[in-house]
Amino acid sequence: MRDARKRRIGRKLWLWAVCAVSVALALPSAADSIDPSDSLDRLEPAPPDVDPRDVAIRAENSLRSDRTYMAAKMTIRSPRLSEPRVVEFRSWDDRPEKRSFIRIDAPAKDRGAAFLKLHPNLWSYVPRVERTLRIPPSMMLQPWMGSDFTNDDLVNESSSIDDYDHRMLGVDPGDGVAVDERAYVIEFIPHEDAPVVWGKIVAWIGVEHGTQLLQKFYDEDGEKMRTIGFAEIREVNGRWVPHHWEVTPHNKEGHSTTIEISEFRFDETFDEKIFTTRNLKQRN
Amino acid sequence: MLEFRLAWRNVWRNPRRTSLTVAATVFAVVLVVMSVGMAAGVHEKMIEDAVRYGSGHLSVTGEGYLENRTLEQFVHFDDEIEQQLRDTDGVRGYAPRVQSFALLARGNSTSGVAVFGVDPSLENSVSRFSERVRTGSFITPGGRRQIVLGQRLAAKLSAEVGDSLLLYSVAYSLETAYELFDVAGVMRLPDPNLDANLAVISLADAQDFFVYGDRVSEIAILTDEADSAADVARTLKATLRMEGPFEINTWDQIMPELVQFILLDDAGMYITVFIVVVVVGFGILNTVLMAVLERRKEFGVVLALGLRPAAVFRTVYFESVMLAGVGLVIGLAVGLPMLLYFQAHPIELTGGMTEVMELFGSEPVMTFKLKPLNPIGSTITIFALAIVAAFYPAVKASRGRPVDVLRSL
Repeated sequence: MRDARKRRIGRKLWLWAVCAVSVALALPSAADSIDPSDSLDRLEPAPPDVDPRDVAIRAENSLRSDRTYMAAKMTIRSPRLSEPRVVEFRSWDDRPEKRSFIRIDAPAKDRGAAFLKLHPNLWSYVPRVERTLRIPPSMMLQPWMGSDFTNDDLVNESSSIDDYDHRMLGVDPGDGVAVDERAYVIEFIPHEDAPVVWGKIVAWIGVEHGTQLLQKFYDEDGEKMRTIGFAEIREVNGRWVPHHWEVTPHNKEGHSTTIEISEFRFDETFDEKIFTTRNLKQRN
Repeated sequence: MLEFRLAWRNVWRNPRRTSLTVAATVFAVVLVVMSVGMAAGVHEKMIEDAVRYGSGHLSVTGEGYLENRTLEQFVHFDDEIEQQLRDTDGVRGYAPRVQSFALLARGNSTSGVAVFGVDPSLENSVSRFSERVRTGSFITPGGRRQIVLGQRLAAKLSAEVGDSLLLYSVAYSLETAYELFDVAGVMRLPDPNLDANLAVISLADAQDFFVYGDRVSEIAILTDEADSAADVARTLKATLRMEGPFEINTWDQIMPELVQFILLDDAGMYITVFIVVVVVGFGILNTVLMAVLERRKEFGVVLALGLRPAAVFRTVYFESVMLAGVGLVIGLAVGLPMLLYFQAHPIELTGGMTEVMELFGSEPVMTFKLKPLNPIGSTITIFALAIVAAFYPAVKASRGRPVDVLRSL
């Protein structure tokens, strides 16, 4: 008699335990799907005298001068790859002329490949068959070199200043939920004719150094598509520049791409010959 | 038998009126036979073309391929799978394909293209691409780095047979994929969208190009009958031993918009047919009713002489059915040979309808098809019509009380 009751109680306890464990297991996964940094409740109101457009211009200028050279290493991670794919490249960006040039140095298979943007066209040179290909403007938002960055990210066809309206959302206290330092949170809304696919971009721009810290890209339905995080912000020629960019697409499980910049040179003088289709074919 | 003879005589009592009614019935029968035959023919052709230029009656793909259509969704295709397909009843042909997006360039012209990697020795058992080659040839078994373009695509790139084109994309391994291909042929495809975007290369080249191993995007399967697709799909789903998750979809699942179009088109046709049949029905009703009304005296007399009302009812009914029957026989005698003629000689289309056909990847040709259900259905419809139309006149004729009828005259 008593044994039977004990068993019943035991079974009840067991059930409770199962329930508790499953709830405990379910909770963190539910938290995963809701990114706490998406919430704007934590934001403090921004000082009224700060113009979001000025903040955006400052952020743009911290990363790009009129003529910028950089050398970088891109690492692509994907469930398809047993080990990450590493691409090394150098880039020359001439902002006033809306042109840029990228040379691939590694892997060996792609060594010598190059990209040239002469607004609005993008040219790609493929070394093994020695051909130049015009990539139509409609391809600007296609992945660049198989990464999670787009062609546009690399050659800056769209402008974060001229192609967007800027709206101040507030100041992030820098409590580590989204970013580790105080940052203006600004919403970038593309103009209707802008060459972008995003519905909006929400960007965290550091109050202190005025650099981009975090960008979240949303599609036209308001769905978060990708996040770019900026880190290793170091001073180069009096500018504070992030040296580590990482993009995570939210619709592709397990994919991510990082770009680590080993060298920045700002306000360079560039040889006109860099931005020519002839230069694409040079082995330099 | 007497009633029968009476009815037959009465049908020809007013030959001109009867001829007109018969003519209307003939017209209706021909219209019904032709409309139904045309719908059957056009729809069958649309399905056939959509299946032949699309994914076959069945398509075996990686899970989620239909929604995403990227290299991420694939199935493995090897000798073992091939043997299993060959051993499955009802499989008429199968074609493994790699499908992806790429840029194709000649000089400064670049176009986005849908790349099909096909096995030339298997592809013909499913698709009709090779029959569509207008200049040059289709890719040949064992040939390397050959590419066949849709005519509009070739025009966009001003590419001709023998030209060397650069194909550029991202491989499954996330490397940049690029290779030169020689234009082997140019094909004219009925679907303008396909014609402007399709580039066909060999399966082996595609698997090299996209670093895809023995993976394929889909295995298109042609079954013996379009109707047996669902059964074969079920069998394959149960028996196919495939590495990794896969799904099998039938043509109507792959192209629900085609199924909807056919349903809508059929509905439209049936409404037209229905209206014509109703109009003819009133014609028959009118004729029979007039024939009854002008013979009120006659019916009064025969009823007074003791003919049972049921016999009068039957006489009128026979009359109506004979009237319809004559129309039906002549109608079928005209309509069926006409249908058979057009079945053998399809009509080439011009104008608005071509766009609809092209939208679904079909040639702008109006085809006809005689199915047994067509004349059977027409016969039943016309007789049903005669039976409904004759009801009121027959009741009217048999119900009259002889005294009243005779007094009223």
